[in-house]
Amino acid sequence: MRPARLWKLARANLSREAGALAVSTGGVALGIACLVFFLALGRGVQRVVRDVFPVSAREIEVVVPQVGIGSLFGQVRLDDATVQRLRQITGVTDAFPRLALHIPAVTRYDGLFFGKPIRMGLEVVGTGISPDLIGPDARLPFQDTGDGNPIPVVVNRRLLEIYNKVFAPQRGLPALTDSMLIGFQFPIELGRSYVASKTLPGSYEAALRLAGFSDRAPLAGLSMPIETVRRINARFGQDGGGYSSVLLRAQRSEQVGEIAGAVKRMGLEIDESERNRALQIGAAVELVTLALSLLAALITALAAVNIAQAFHAEVRERTREIGVMRAVGATRVDVATLILAEAAVTGIVGGAFGVALARIGGVAIDYLARKWLPEFPFKPQTFFDFRPTHVLLGLAIAVAASLAGAFFPARTAAALDPARALSET
Amino acid sequence: MTAIDVRALRKRYPPREPGGVPQDLWRGLELTVDEGEFVAIEGQSGSGKSTLLHILGGLDRAYQGDVRVLGEHIRGLSDARLAALRHARIGFVFQSFNLLSELTALENVLLPDFFGEGIPDAERCAMRALERVGLADKARARPTALSGGERQRVAIARALLAGPPLLLADEPTGNLDARTGEGIIALFRELHRDGMSLLVVTHEARVSRAASRVLVLRDGVLLPDPRLEGSA
Repeated sequence: MRPARLWKLARANLSREAGALAVSTGGVALGIACLVFFLALGRGVQRVVRDVFPVSAREIEVVVPQVGIGSLFGQVRLDDATVQRLRQITGVTDAFPRLALHIPAVTRYDGLFFGKPIRMGLEVVGTGISPDLIGPDARLPFQDTGDGNPIPVVVNRRLLEIYNKVFAPQRGLPALTDSMLIGFQFPIELGRSYVASKTLPGSYEAALRLAGFSDRAPLAGLSMPIETVRRINARFGQDGGGYSSVLLRAQRSEQVGEIAGAVKRMGLEIDESERNRALQIGAAVELVTLALSLLAALITALAAVNIAQAFHAEVRERTREIGVMRAVGATRVDVATLILAEAAVTGIVGGAFGVALARIGGVAIDYLARKWLPEFPFKPQTFFDFRPTHVLLGLAIAVAASLAGAFFPARTAAALDPARALSET
Repeated sequence: MTAIDVRALRKRYPPREPGGVPQDLWRGLELTVDEGEFVAIEGQSGSGKSTLLHILGGLDRAYQGDVRVLGEHIRGLSDARLAALRHARIGFVFQSFNLLSELTALENVLLPDFFGEGIPDAERCAMRALERVGLADKARARPTALSGGERQRVAIARALLAGPPLLLADEPTGNLDARTGEGIIALFRELHRDGMSLLVVTHEARVSRAASRVLVLRDGVLLPDPRLEGSA
């Protein structure tokens, strides 16, 4: 049966059965709409999770084990020699050591902050990082400038988002951009803690100067040049000569497993807390997406059952017509093909409606979110990530469900005894 | 050459009640229709006239005996080859027209072209068939807009599309008034004159009168009708 003729005949039959098949098409559309909607929502939420917890598939953080045989014997240290050995592991392209500020520090601010009076004090968590790690994210020189000069610091870009969406609205402070803050200076008191209520001997005040924002900087606290942190730690007698951790970058993400193995063989550990958190949240989102997609699949399956009933009824009604087709030269395959073609068209129409419905639903949800949801950190412009693959998947599943539903009716139609069919009244 | 050759044909129906005896419809039908012959078969309702046509067209394959149509042993043909035989070499006309209401008259005539390999130059053949039955001006009309006689003529045009050598007609005038029926009979005469073989099942004497030979299906056998034999 030639496609053009098949289409003409299927179209004629579908136009006659439009009313009955509208319910089936609606069912398919609903199922596919739910499926595409939830898939796009899942991807959209995953994207937000990645924004909040960016995890590079090519990077791992190496730390000294908390308790280990190596550390008991004092053999494992993250010193320059170890960093060099880590660099030599096959697949490692870069190694960026980090050094924690081992002494307490606080910042207090009492004055005008971009036109608004502010008075506050904060405990500072400091980390020393290599300038190479953040690269061009530092808009001002990011290197140790020695005592008496402002200490350049880099802040994770997510902190600015949290400030703008949470802190600033609560305190009535202005929203800020990174360019407004570059070069901003604020005081720090090194060797003092508000939380522990203690001041170390030799504590002193200095100034911090914001040099840039970077996703590469640790989320918690301020990142300073690693030499600055080493110098401050040494001033308070806290410099052990090693590093707190080393970030390793692999050439390819597939090599990360092998690199992690090599690191562990050196008696070191991989700190996967942030990665695990991101993975856990990602997995939870995927699980919810999967559950909702299964629900959508169930709706689509019910639509397939409805299609089966509709086509069974159609075959019963068209028994005599099928007999005529057989009499003028249709084979059993022709009859089955015709029924399946009608089902495929039903599926394509239902799938297209479903995809459109999902898009409309997504636009509506985004509109409502923009209008009614309060601002919060990382609030996305859209909660959805519609992909061409979703459209193709939606259409494919719609057609597959329709074909599955029409399979047995088509078989019944093909198996009809033409003589008996022609005798139907 | 024979168009139809039937030997010892029986059709057995299962018993109506459990434990009953199977019913034989005929007692071994014998029928020969020569090429170009116009044969009418009369018979009472339930005598198996339509069943015989279905068997000859390969639509009913549950029978005993030997059936050859246009030189083909029907029993041995696959579904696809039987379909091809009906598609190109056998035209069917039914009492109730059996047109597809969503298709125009022309599209209904083209219905055989929808299946199989299609028919060469089908649109032109369809228009010619409609012209032949006097309905060229109704090509775009839907069956609902046609009278009973016009519908039957469209059905005949459909049967003629592929230019088959054999036409099987089942009570072709049964649903038509006398005047309209005469038009159909005249058309059959014309087809017969053009050399087509026709086997028409009917219970109307006026159709039988047009045939070159009349047989009566009675008590499970085909008998020549003594009233009309040779009166064409």
